[in-house]
Amino acid sequence: MTSIVKRFAIQTEHDTQLIDITERVRELIAQTGIQNGSATVMTMHTTTAITVNEGLPDLEDDLLELLADLAPAGRPYRHARFLHSDGQMAVNAPSHLRGALLGMQVILPVENGRPVLGSRQTIYFVELDGPLHREAVVHVMG
Amino acid sequence: MIDFHTHPVQIADLYEWDPTMEHAVRDVFGLYVKPQPMATYLGHLDEAGIDRSVILPVDCTSAHGCTVVSNQQIAALMERSDRLIGFASVDPGLPDAAARLEHDVREYGLSGLKLDPALQRFTIDDEQRAFPVYAAAAALGIPVLMHCGLSWARIGRSSLAHPLALEPVIEAFPSLRIVIAHLGWPWVPEAVMLAIKHRTVYLDTSVLFSGTPTESLRHVIDTVIGRELFDRSIPEQVVFGSNYPRVDPKRAMWAVRDLGLRPRLTQRIFNDNATALLAPGQGA
Repeated sequence: MTSIVKRFAIQTEHDTQLIDITERVRELIAQTGIQNGSATVMTMHTTTAITVNEGLPDLEDDLLELLADLAPAGRPYRHARFLHSDGQMAVNAPSHLRGALLGMQVILPVENGRPVLGSRQTIYFVELDGPLHREAVVHVMG
Repeated sequence: MIDFHTHPVQIADLYEWDPTMEHAVRDVFGLYVKPQPMATYLGHLDEAGIDRSVILPVDCTSAHGCTVVSNQQIAALMERSDRLIGFASVDPGLPDAAARLEHDVREYGLSGLKLDPALQRFTIDDEQRAFPVYAAAAALGIPVLMHCGLSWARIGRSSLAHPLALEPVIEAFPSLRIVIAHLGWPWVPEAVMLAIKHRTVYLDTSVLFSGTPTESLRHVIDTVIGRELFDRSIPEQVVFGSNYPRVDPKRAMWAVRDLGLRPRLTQRIFNDNATALLAPGQGA
């Protein structure tokens, strides 16, 4: 079995943002040369997420609004203090919690060198505390 | 909108230009996160609705043997974006500090002076070392942004940054405009007292101690000071500052927005007061 990890960078532009990475994932899987197996798409951060949904702007807005409702700003979160290990204020609890709700990865079957996706399925990198320079990986095994 | 208080210490270009930057930022400034591209810095401004930002160096040569971004590097960053307003920093511990300030402000087109007594380890009211620097700033007609209060740098000595030490400076240099950073926390009443008394004393809003910026600022404004005082006594002496990268500009902006101040006062804090401060002053 072959195992290949491909890393890629994303410069996000907003506080919260859904970024379509479907084509990028397809290209990276193709670059590995692995024809059949599985691919894991994973974010390297705890205030971002990876998810799959229908690629429609209205659904994107609905999803972000739902996340904001579920983990709203302004609650007395414990994670709201100076973080000595970073030298910065750690005041982004809602971003972490929204990320936890969506999850850090998705797993896709790989068939004939391409990810198996339904016709309405879009892979999203979800920024929840931007703008920042972010990293994600595609891990292909087969 | 103008952010009057940002440290460009997370911009990756600086680390490519200067191999000593990592030591200065980690061991002196006390920031331990990865550098980010210039695009992230500018993206932060965009996300917060900030048009222009002040970028601050700190010259710690005599105290720690380095600069936490030099005046020349500030000028190089200004070349990358016309949204950046560069300040100078000089080390009062060096005998040529005043002359260097005069040179660098003119050479690099810098708009103010940043001093951090906690990190630079000087005494604010030291007539022999610090007063010549204030005199040079007054002669140049530039404002001084003075770190006051809590220093988050591990080796920063907050005891050197008490705002009351500014009293003899204000008295000796009546035309010098001084911005007390971080509302001087935890010495907020003392900082506000100076601003109430002296029209040349300003405050920036970058108060960060615990909780979110919204919680910290609301506590200080509503519990310690009283918001009426802002509107009545010092509406033209408060400027918005984020203290990036200690906190994101967007959250610092939300903190001021969430106070729900009168629109005219909010406009002054976000823009008008800083614009007036940064207008070329009249040298002494």
